[in-house]
Amino acid sequence: MSNRYKWRDNPNILARLINANNLNTWKAQEVVLKPNEACAFIVDGRIGDILTEKVVSNIAGGFNRFIGEMMGVTAKDRRLLFAMTGPADISIPFSSNLPNGTKVNGFANIRVQLRSEDLPKLLNMFANSAPILDRKRLAEVLHNELMMRVITPSLAECSDEAMLRSSAFQDKFEMRTEVELRPTLSTLGFTILKAFITSNQTDNEKIAQLQTELAAATNTEGAHAEALMERIAIREAATLRRIECEVNIAKAEAAGKVTVELQSELKELRKQEAQWEAELKRDEGRANLRMKESSHKTEQAMALFEQVQAKKKERIEQQMEHQNQRMDKQNELQMKMMEMAANNNALTPEVMQEFLRQQTAQKAVDGPGGEFEPSADSSKEPTCQSCSKPIMAGWKACPHCGIAL
Amino acid sequence: MQYVRQTAQAIITRMYKQYMRQMPAVPIEVLPYVRGIQLVLSSYEGYTKGKRREADRLIRDEIKRAGTRARNHISNIHDTAFKTDRLSIAKIAKLATTQIDCLIEDVDKSVTGMNHAFFSGSRSAKVSDLKNLIKHDHDVIEMVTKAINIANSAEHAFSSSESDEDITNLIQQCQQMITSCQGFFNSRNKILGGLRQKAK
Repeated sequence: MSNRYKWRDNPNILARLINANNLNTWKAQEVVLKPNEACAFIVDGRIGDILTEKVVSNIAGGFNRFIGEMMGVTAKDRRLLFAMTGPADISIPFSSNLPNGTKVNGFANIRVQLRSEDLPKLLNMFANSAPILDRKRLAEVLHNELMMRVITPSLAECSDEAMLRSSAFQDKFEMRTEVELRPTLSTLGFTILKAFITSNQTDNEKIAQLQTELAAATNTEGAHAEALMERIAIREAATLRRIECEVNIAKAEAAGKVTVELQSELKELRKQEAQWEAELKRDEGRANLRMKESSHKTEQAMALFEQVQAKKKERIEQQMEHQNQRMDKQNELQMKMMEMAANNNALTPEVMQEFLRQQTAQKAVDGPGGEFEPSADSSKEPTCQSCSKPIMAGWKACPHCGIAL
Repeated sequence: MQYVRQTAQAIITRMYKQYMRQMPAVPIEVLPYVRGIQLVLSSYEGYTKGKRREADRLIRDEIKRAGTRARNHISNIHDTAFKTDRLSIAKIAKLATTQIDCLIEDVDKSVTGMNHAFFSGSRSAKVSDLKNLIKHDHDVIEMVTKAINIANSAEHAFSSSESDEDITNLIQQCQQMITSCQGFFNSRNKILGGLRQKAK
């Protein structure tokens, strides 16, 4: 069984140079080199193999080596250079000013990596310093150069805080860091992977932040107040609406009572109306019946009147016919007389004049047109007492108003 | 109890070594690839028995070395472009160097392939796997060599005062080649990592 040798007991340690002569023990020691670890052997001042991902047994000790040293067949000087080959972040604090006088504090972060083939270059670092390299020591080494060649020029190109926070500034800072620090870091065996700057808040930014916070607080308060007012308005509206609804309900209830009363009155009225309507219908029926009766009497009277008129017309026609016959006979007689007078040459103007005069007198005796001449007391014919219209003697009813005579 | 466990472990290891002895030498069909790799790495002999890790280490070191060469070319372009205030080229160059760093890191921390325990579920590499691996290594080295050539051309174009567009194109071609190489290299993890289950 062999002892495990640990070259690193602190995560900040990046590399370590070990004098293997100091590790002489009777027992063998081995080191397990993980994928992110490498070990360079410097034997008798010459750089030997660089190992990684390997178990290095008998690294510094063991009985065989003890015997070999006793016999003087082993190397006289053996040194082991261990290093971490993974990326390591180095934070370097800085403090500088922008062109407008604003002070900027922060950290410049540089991610470096030590590749296994560059491991021997670390000897440059250990030439004049302690045989342990940790992040702090590397930051100290790089600090001045970084400040003078990278940070100060970068901030000098930065006009204000907005540019300090911009992506372009970070890109330029990274490129500048790589350009300016590569010679130094490659001398030490490191490769720059990434660089960026982390700056704290400047005074102007603090003021701006304070102003923003105050404005935000004011806006918040305003928003709260607005929300509160809105809430109160909503409550007010709800309360008013509730009151209105209650009033409406009360009104409706009252109106309902009135309606009930009015409905009862309406029922009474309708009842009365129905009664009146029934009476009206009854009266109308009676009137209709009476009208029917009276119209029947009128029809009878009209029929009688028409019979009388027809007889009267017939009698007048008989009289007219009789008169016409008599006139024809007279005309015929007069014609014969005229012919006879003409035959006897007795038809003189005096005869004609006498003939016309007698004929006119005859017509005056017969009446105008032979029509029926009413008697002198015809103006005193009987009239209806109700409608004062003329009636004939013997009528039982007035043909105009239908009243019984 | 401890001695019993150690004895059992010794028996298992012995059985495994006997199993490993059946691994052949370099198959004939991949010899052209081996010869091609040997043009770059003279000590490369393929994944013959007992030299598997050494071959893997050689290939990986070569890829890293080639990547570093390409990176140096691109870094020169980056530095000069930044100092002459041609920031567009410098930014492209920075992206390319970042990509190369990723490739180197992938290769540096890639799977080597282990002697897994005899009763473990992992399957040991077969002859067909090793053939694929040799061909794969050849292709990766070819790609990364092309990337170096493109990076060299880019630096030459930059120093020959060619147009920014041409230089940018060359740098981006180099970056593309490195990216392809990175993806291609990562696929070898399937072979060496013993990820596949043992055939039942």
